[in-house]
Amino acid sequence: MEFKDYYQTLGVARDASADDIKHAYRRLARKYHPDLNKDAAAEARFKEVGEAYEVLKDPEKRAAYDDVGKRWQPGAEQPPPGWDSGYEFRGGEDAFAGAGGFGGGHSDFFEALFGRARAQARHRAPPRAQDHHAKVMIGLVDAYRGASRSIRLQVPTLDAQGQVLLSERTLDVAIPAGVREGQHLRLAGQGAPGFDGAPAGDLYLEIAFAPHPLYRVEGRDVVLDLPVAPWEAALGADIDVPLPDASVQLSVPAGSGQGRKLRLKGKGIPGKTPGDLYVVLQIAVPPPANDLQRQAWRELARLQPFNPRAEMGAK
Amino acid sequence: MMQTSLTVLHCQVVEEEVALSLAELCRACDAERELVLQLVEHGVIEPQGSAPQAWVFTGASLRRTRVALRLLRDLELNLPGAALAVELLDEIARLQRQLQGAVEVSRRS
Repeated sequence: MEFKDYYQTLGVARDASADDIKHAYRRLARKYHPDLNKDAAAEARFKEVGEAYEVLKDPEKRAAYDDVGKRWQPGAEQPPPGWDSGYEFRGGEDAFAGAGGFGGGHSDFFEALFGRARAQARHRAPPRAQDHHAKVMIGLVDAYRGASRSIRLQVPTLDAQGQVLLSERTLDVAIPAGVREGQHLRLAGQGAPGFDGAPAGDLYLEIAFAPHPLYRVEGRDVVLDLPVAPWEAALGADIDVPLPDASVQLSVPAGSGQGRKLRLKGKGIPGKTPGDLYVVLQIAVPPPANDLQRQAWRELARLQPFNPRAEMGAK
Repeated sequence: MMQTSLTVLHCQVVEEEVALSLAELCRACDAERELVLQLVEHGVIEPQGSAPQAWVFTGASLRRTRVALRLLRDLELNLPGAALAVELLDEIARLQRQLQGAVEVSRRS
């Protein structure tokens, strides 16, 4: 296990004041918050920043962390013995992160230092059965056809002694056709179990699409960049176009320019109001490979004078 | 680790098939009722119906509420700040879609 330098994570000095730490956290949190920054790496960075702040904002945790830092042996597998004597942590309200946030996710380092203390801080059962949230990643084809997914959930449960145990549940979920990115599926009664006869909570699954090499998804609509040969664009052509769940023949109109957008109505993500599929023509030019082909291009240039830069005022 | 497996036959698309009461929205977002009332007051979510007992929220309110709650908690924003941020995030998403369309039109011409 690696020692985590929480001061470095927040970019503050070891003797930074509580105010400095707060300001550094707020600045970095705004920068990397997954709701504000869609970059794939942002979420991991945000978790690191949040973990560092969770420790450094709490005077007792910070003192314990500083103490561990002084005595940490490089390459050590666990904190030095007796590191936590004399400190009393007040974890509490966020002990079951994951119900509302980005899936908990403290580092092993944090768990080794504060994990046990955090879990023990919660003695009572939740007052009502909680709803749980998880993300599920599906492919675009799944959104067209519907799919079934086995979803494994790790659920913290309390035993009779109030100890936290992780149990794993596998759910086979039928994902309906027509679901879109960012939507939520509700699975009634699959959240936290209810106590004393109370009904169980619900499970919400947020849909995310795995990136597709060919298609971009914009809400209900799907966009495909389709390469065409110069003569197909110029003369028109019937072209087989692969759709996410089928293929269709598309008539490219004669005289189509680069970037022409053709709409296949209702071929986007299905639903009560199905989306459209847009084909954006991308003219691909084959490099001439021999004298005959070069001659043919020269002949075309002679027969069809054309200045693509006319609008720029250039020749 | 304990393991159980079961088959789920039914799920609903929240944004299309589900309307939420105030209590359901609070539970789904793990939020205090008072906080959700304040989100309504600041216009982050807009229920139909006259009184809180009769309020009905669209499924899309779930996402807006959860984003607002995350911003409140993670960025230590106050309510007007979080309400503004949710509004601006939706506006950015709308403009990005529009921009995407505009770029494709201009590539054609």
